[in-house]
Amino acid sequence: MILLLPILLPVIGGCFVFRQKNEQARDRLVLWLVGLTAALTALVCLLPVRTLQLTTIQGTMHLALANDGLARFFMVLFTGIWAPVSVFSLPYIRHAGREGQFLGFYTMTLGVLMGLCMAKNFVTLYMFFEMMTLLTLPLVLHNGTSAARRAGFRYLGYSVFGAGMALAGFFFLSYYLTTPDFCPGGALDLPRAALHRPLLIFVWFLMTVGFGAKAGMMPMQAWLPAAHPVAPAPASAVLSGVVTKGGVLAIIRVTYYTFSPAYLAGSWAQSALLALALCTVFTGSMLALREKQLKKRLAYSTVSQISYVLLGLLLLSPDGVGAALLQAVFHAVAKDTLFLAAGAIIMSTNFARVDQLRGIGKRMPVTMACFTAASLSLIGIPPMSGFVSKWYLASAALEGAPPWAGPAAVSVLIVSALLTAAYLLPVAAEGFFPGAGFIAERREVGRRMTVPMAVFSAAALVLGLFPGPLLRWTAELAARLF
Amino acid sequence: MHQYLSLPILFPVVMGLGLLVVRPARKLARSRYVMVSVVLTSLFALLGIQMAYRYGGDALVCVLVRFSASFSISLRIDGPSMVYGALAAVLWPVVTVYSLEYMEHEGHEDRFFGFWLISFGVVLGIAFAEDFLSLYFFYELLTLSTLPLVMHSMDEKARYAGRKYVLYSLSGAAFAFIGIVFLLNFGTTLDFTYGGVLDPARIAGNETTLLWVFVCAFFGFGVKAAVFPFHGWLPDASVAPTPVSALLHAAAVVKAGAFAVIRLIYYGFGPDFLRGTFAQTIVMAAAAVTIVYGSARALRTPHLKRRLAFSTVSNLSYILFALTLMSPAGLTGALTHMVYHAVIKITLFCCAGSIIVGSGREYVYELEGLGQRMPAVFGCFTVSALALIGLPPLGGFAGKWMIASAAVESLNPLAYAGIGALILSTLLTTLYLMTIVVRAWFPVGELDTAALARLRDPGPRMTVPLAALTVLGTALALASGPLIRFLWAVAHGSL
Amino acid sequence: MRPLWENLPFLSIFLAITAGILCAVLRSGKAAWRLTMLTTAVNTLLSAVLLGCLWPAGLSFVYTMGRFAAPYGNAIKAGPLQALLSAVFCAVLALALEGGKRDLFHDVSPARQPLYFTMVNMTAASLLALTYTNDVFTGYVFIEISTISACALVMARDTGPNLIATIRYLFMSLLGSGLFLLGLTLLNGVTGYLLMPSLAEAVAALAASGQYRLPLTAAVGLMIAGLGIKSAMFPFHLWLPAAHGGATTASSAILSGLVLKGYIVLLIVLMVRVFTLPLLEEMGVTNVLLIFGLLGMVAGSVSAIREHHIKRMLACSSVAQIGYIFMGLGLGLGFGTAAGLTASCFHILVHACCKPLLFCCAGRLSAVSGHHRSLRNLRGSAYRDAVAGVGFTVGALSMIGIPLFGGFVSKLYFASASLSSDKTAVVLLTIALSTVLNALYYVPAVLAIWEQPDEELRLHIQETADPAALAFDRSFTVSALILTAGVFVLGILYHPILNVINSGVSLL
Repeated sequence: MILLLPILLPVIGGCFVFRQKNEQARDRLVLWLVGLTAALTALVCLLPVRTLQLTTIQGTMHLALANDGLARFFMVLFTGIWAPVSVFSLPYIRHAGREGQFLGFYTMTLGVLMGLCMAKNFVTLYMFFEMMTLLTLPLVLHNGTSAARRAGFRYLGYSVFGAGMALAGFFFLSYYLTTPDFCPGGALDLPRAALHRPLLIFVWFLMTVGFGAKAGMMPMQAWLPAAHPVAPAPASAVLSGVVTKGGVLAIIRVTYYTFSPAYLAGSWAQSALLALALCTVFTGSMLALREKQLKKRLAYSTVSQISYVLLGLLLLSPDGVGAALLQAVFHAVAKDTLFLAAGAIIMSTNFARVDQLRGIGKRMPVTMACFTAASLSLIGIPPMSGFVSKWYLASAALEGAPPWAGPAAVSVLIVSALLTAAYLLPVAAEGFFPGAGFIAERREVGRRMTVPMAVFSAAALVLGLFPGPLLRWTAELAARLF
Repeated sequence: MHQYLSLPILFPVVMGLGLLVVRPARKLARSRYVMVSVVLTSLFALLGIQMAYRYGGDALVCVLVRFSASFSISLRIDGPSMVYGALAAVLWPVVTVYSLEYMEHEGHEDRFFGFWLISFGVVLGIAFAEDFLSLYFFYELLTLSTLPLVMHSMDEKARYAGRKYVLYSLSGAAFAFIGIVFLLNFGTTLDFTYGGVLDPARIAGNETTLLWVFVCAFFGFGVKAAVFPFHGWLPDASVAPTPVSALLHAAAVVKAGAFAVIRLIYYGFGPDFLRGTFAQTIVMAAAAVTIVYGSARALRTPHLKRRLAFSTVSNLSYILFALTLMSPAGLTGALTHMVYHAVIKITLFCCAGSIIVGSGREYVYELEGLGQRMPAVFGCFTVSALALIGLPPLGGFAGKWMIASAAVESLNPLAYAGIGALILSTLLTTLYLMTIVVRAWFPVGELDTAALARLRDPGPRMTVPLAALTVLGTALALASGPLIRFLWAVAHGSL
Repeated sequence: MRPLWENLPFLSIFLAITAGILCAVLRSGKAAWRLTMLTTAVNTLLSAVLLGCLWPAGLSFVYTMGRFAAPYGNAIKAGPLQALLSAVFCAVLALALEGGKRDLFHDVSPARQPLYFTMVNMTAASLLALTYTNDVFTGYVFIEISTISACALVMARDTGPNLIATIRYLFMSLLGSGLFLLGLTLLNGVTGYLLMPSLAEAVAALAASGQYRLPLTAAVGLMIAGLGIKSAMFPFHLWLPAAHGGATTASSAILSGLVLKGYIVLLIVLMVRVFTLPLLEEMGVTNVLLIFGLLGMVAGSVSAIREHHIKRMLACSSVAQIGYIFMGLGLGLGFGTAAGLTASCFHILVHACCKPLLFCCAGRLSAVSGHHRSLRNLRGSAYRDAVAGVGFTVGALSMIGIPLFGGFVSKLYFASASLSSDKTAVVLLTIALSTVLNALYYVPAVLAIWEQPDEELRLHIQETADPAALAFDRSFTVSALILTAGVFVLGILYHPILNVINSGVSLL
């Protein structure tokens, strides 16, 4: 029963947020809901593993929840991101308008994400996945412009089609499973599955590409660069930082908890997907470099960075998984900082393009400091956390199969790092060192917006300096899957 | 007791004729008359189904008209009869409440409700028919009794739609008739028998002819089930008053077509005879094409009711596709989707009707911002749209799941392509339904606030049935476990 | 000593002729009407009695006229089928007259009315004779009588276009009779007989020996062509729409429903008794009949679709229905059963009931719409006379082939008959196509008459219509109700009727 609480509380509470007219009361309600959810999450994580069956769809197919290891990891990550961004979003959205609608859906999305983490089988995962798409759609549509609507429909279309592809794959897959539930290390009925390996490998390919749409992997990444610029900054933050990780979670569940890595290793699909991931890493960074709009640049950056995570996952080795999980955490933290900073800049100065940001560091020093810290993490410069994850990714790639992946991955990672530097550092540089004759007044945003950014930047630094506990946690999770 | 089954069929027909002949002057009298007739008929039907479930179908065999030793119009309740009959019996009263309110805006209620009642009886006749001749009889009668309902408003578009409807339907039935004649001559009996009635001794050497005849009959009955390329009547028929579109063209009439195909495949020619033949390939391909075609057209149609009509075209072919898998699993999938789609589509159409009546707006692009003003209607619409898209645990998902599982089990490559069609259709469904939802709740651009301010949810006599239907759909979806178990038993012939 | 009832066929024919002669000398049309109705009613009764005597025992008898022994002289052969057909024909004749009574007295000038009834009686007599005859020459004589009386029936309504139609009809009819006479002569030439049983023997002998093959075939061809022209078989049907469409209601009903059938019955009798079906199949005649039947089914309906004038539409529809009958004949023997033949006979009955019903109702509907005839002007007419509307709907549904109506049973039996032949596919597909085509013109007609007319049309009709025409027409209502009941009987209680036809066909 208690597993339901982190889901129901934000969802039902979110409904009340819509209705609340009083601004202060609403803000308090949101913070309380998010906070309580975080507390419940912590409670759920401390409890032993238990299952909750919700309802039966047919026969052996039920909707069920379980708080296993992976669920706990992602629940902590998601709530950890959600709480500070909530604080940031309260003043931001007051500036943007229609707060009730935004905050309501924002809160409800958290509940659905908790459900996504705790999903015990594919159908439950699919249900929460679709719900997540539907509940984040209003966040994309928020600005109420036709560009927002177009972007929203593109988001909807890609997500639903991707989920549909995954569902189609699952129709075939379910025939070859011993149990419909997720099991660490896979649930395949190996004797039967061995007979139909080509079909099942293709199914895995389909499902990964399908869920990969949400994670911004090529070829279905086009929604990301469209959706991020039109959405309000907190929405972009959670889309990039959290929702894409939902896609990653789904891929992990499919690859490691339904299929088994041993079964998939060495197949053409693995090579193809690795190639796709590497392609995305490179292309994302290239496109980010050429993009002048700040938020769109960050969106392309997300496309690229998430594929680091997928790269790690697709190596099908314990090190790879561990590195991928690390990258997931660190990217979330860093990217959210960047987006929040971008939001702060837009709110304060209305500048959206990078060429308008000369001297922004003088105007908003705290914001830009956080921006710089996050950029360094994203590029992968020690002692920031981004370095840790990229290091482990590179080493996992070098020792993983297929053999061509190692050198290819490392080179792409290096090139991408350079490109990332190229598209992030100049912003910071020009911001702080605009050149002579630049006079600007300090117009920093309020504390409620700078504190979350600072928290994230601090986290990026601290996790980079003391990665130990996190490394142990991810290694433990990864080991269980093999 | 033997003649009991004639009651749920003859009673509404007689009451309907009565209403046509004696036109009551007072509206209240008529409303009460109609409501009581409909509820009583439903009760009779459900009671009959219950008795058949308890004591077996043979206890209630009833002959309405006997032509000769071998030909008669007779009734018997078996598994599929229970499903289709119960569907009609449960949904008819709910939509009647809605339509009593709705038709006040349209007028000529005497004629409308007279034929409404008659159609109810005829639909039950189709459900309870014991053999192909009886089915054919009620099938033709259904076309005739629903024609005045389609043409109700008697303006140019309605007359055109009515003409098209009756021409398509009668032509389809004429070709299906060929199938029945062949079954008569190559089968042991015309009575519905699970597994088929073909006599192996007699058909030897004539298999190819029989398969072509089957294809002919499939498309013949498929006209009513709006299979491509004979679907053209359905979108035009959406000019009918909304209760007609909702109940008849989303649930009763089109499902009659699907029901006839069930009888044709599983109780007539027999799935074992048809599986693996070119005939199966042809009909499966047609169904798969219709699935995608219907959804694609729906996306491009701006008129709300026409969009829902194309959606029906597509969803019916989900059912037909499942049937063409020629297996009990396929039949289970078809029955599951039949049940859920009926409830969901009725709800969607009733919402559309409420929107049209409440605001006068018929086109999707006119619906900007209506969500705030008509929250009850659009709330039900959103829930039903999500159900149709296939969000678990709502109804549409269970249907799609069962159909896809059956397709996978069939090991037929064309069936795999059909799964692809299903997924593509899901995407298109999401797009064409969510457009409406998004426009209503998240408007863009300049809104005519003055005009919007005048709009409100329609009265309780329309919103309560809407809510009831939505709740029913959701409850059925949550109870999908036991329901699918029951349908499984039906599909395996144990009822 | 022969039983009394064996005299009945001759008596009926004699009564009809006498009544015709008497009508000629009567002064008033009403009196002639009454006499005709009485005679027809009596004939119906007599035929029914005959049926009652023949059917239970499964008998048929030959009745020689005068003392001339076979193979010379004149004879009548009656079996259950003939009795049934006569009974129905007479009943329908009476009902057709009853149904079109008002139009009749309106269209035909009073001076000519007695003569009209003479012609009606002559038509009745020739119908009965063609049904009962056992020799070909008598057949020819009554064919000619029928031609002339039918022409008179058409011409009774004195209008310009009608006159032209009549002349065309006369021309075609005489052509048909001429061909029949030629064939008859040829047949007599090679066999030497005129009496059917003797002819049958002779033909069988000739067929077996292979002598005179060409003249025999020519004779068959000519006789069938002649009868085909007269019964509007495709491609000789072009005279029908104008002739039947322009005549007064009762005449159209009688012509379409009955007169055509007389020739077909004679054709059936010739096919079965004289030439025998196996021989005809060997000659390929049945295939020709089948093809023409199928083409007629389609061509008739296609031309009906293009008609806006309701009576012409019904006349074109008759061509299609006659096509069904010829198709049934063309299915021939088919693996040992004469199923096609039975189905054709049943359809003769169905059409004989339906077409007069349709014509009478159409007549009544136009009468209440100011005597307009086009469908556009008939809109809403069903509300002015509900019985006519319902009757028209019932007739239309029967023609399309909806179960519970007679037309469906015919369709079912035609389809079953085709299954035991090797032409199944084409026949079934044509039946289905024909159903579609029938629906294409009957449905709009039915929809039109039940459509609520717009205000101005209604007012226009109310002003221009003759109040006498609008008033309740009792004779029509009675006739329409009985014919409607007949259609339902043929649709529901068809089984005993089919049994009679079956045994009748075997006793032909």
